[in-house]
Amino acid sequence: MASDRSNGSDYTGPLRRLLLVVLILLLGATFLLWRIDSPRVERFRAQVTDRLVPNLDWAMAPVTGAINLLRDFQSYQRLSEQNKELRSELRQMQAWKEAALQLEQENARLLDLNKVRLDPRLTFITGVVLADSGSPFRQSVLLNVGSRDGLVDGWATMDGIGLVGRISGVGQNTARVILLTDASSRIPALIQPSGQRAIVAGDNSAAPPIDFLENPDLVRPGDRVISSGDGGVFPAGLLIGQVAADPGGRLRVRLSADYERLEFLRVLRHYGTENVTDTAQIITQDGPLVQPGEGISE
Amino acid sequence: MNDLSQTRLWLMRGSFMLLTVLILFFQLLPLETTPRIWAGPDLLLCFAMAWSMRRPEYVPPLALALAFLLADLLLQRPPGLWAMFALMACENLKSRGRSLRDANFAAEWITVGLIILVITVFERLVLGLVLVDLPLLTLTLSELGMTLLFYPLVVAITHFLMGVRKTAPGDLDALGQRV
Repeated sequence: MASDRSNGSDYTGPLRRLLLVVLILLLGATFLLWRIDSPRVERFRAQVTDRLVPNLDWAMAPVTGAINLLRDFQSYQRLSEQNKELRSELRQMQAWKEAALQLEQENARLLDLNKVRLDPRLTFITGVVLADSGSPFRQSVLLNVGSRDGLVDGWATMDGIGLVGRISGVGQNTARVILLTDASSRIPALIQPSGQRAIVAGDNSAAPPIDFLENPDLVRPGDRVISSGDGGVFPAGLLIGQVAADPGGRLRVRLSADYERLEFLRVLRHYGTENVTDTAQIITQDGPLVQPGEGISE
Repeated sequence: MNDLSQTRLWLMRGSFMLLTVLILFFQLLPLETTPRIWAGPDLLLCFAMAWSMRRPEYVPPLALALAFLLADLLLQRPPGLWAMFALMACENLKSRGRSLRDANFAAEWITVGLIILVITVFERLVLGLVLVDLPLLTLTLSELGMTLLFYPLVVAITHFLMGVRKTAPGDLDALGQRV
């Protein structure tokens, strides 16, 4: 017995060795399957997350709260300093508030005159952030709303101000949001006021770079970046952020959404933009009059 | 005596899975939503290796595979790849455990470091071969460095807090026999 054990055969007996080989092969096969048929495995991943993470929520919420409380406590030391800053900001805000109120009244009057109806289908669902991606390699958060609430892959997610990311992976009760900062995130964007189209491509940094810009000379730091709606996945006109140039001269987007604290996120319901496909036809008493060659629709 | 050891064996196997869930729980807390330029240590791998080194019977291959696969799935990594390499690393360490039992901690640290370095390189190689986007090199390197730095701490916790120690001559093993 003693000589057996010194050879370590207790842990590497034939049966154990077989089990180990089978396990290693299974894990390798899982990886290959993921590489070949990614959507299926990703759906499985979403289901596993969906089963496990909401169960931990009762513990996660208070622990997160406690840690955030501690962090806040550290910032109390700079309280008077912050107070002074806030007062000056508040004065500026009051001026803006006056301007906003006047504009709001004017806007309401104009809308009334025009009898404009805003798109009633552009509504949103608000979700609470349950968990983050758990590793610095990926930038994503998990929301507590899922297919139960009618969520669909690809919908846009915002905080109160700007675009945060895109839904990717929906479970029954949870949905994953790939943030704009993730290395796999690509969002078609429009830069105002020059009207240049570009792609905001995440690269795991706080300010994603702007790619595929046709004419960089027309774009200046400080320009607004909004979603362009190209490709039909995203609604157009959502604020992404402002252009900024990094020390290397590369154009990046300073995101408007507050990524420091993502707590509540809005998921915009979006059923695709409808395209006008048929050519214009004039309806007469004898039915539609087809006019080939005359481009009224242009 | 036999009965007690069996209970303890399953208790410790259970606590390893509990430890896995606990580590994942703290990693998933929504505290960091901005990108970081460095990565923290892979604590799960540290604990798995420290336990494999000391008491291989507490971390059977099946438990290790399940724990690593769960981590892969929850942490958005390519599922299975890191789990496979980590399992191989732990099993490799188990087979060396007997020869390293009498060595000092420095030897163990160097062995563990070399094994982690090798599996990290292999993971990147395989990811490159199958044309998956590679994670940033700075992140991978900082994770490697932090894992190595934290390993002694993890060993201390394993040894003093959790009571998972190397078998010494005269100890009883899981079956109640003298080692």
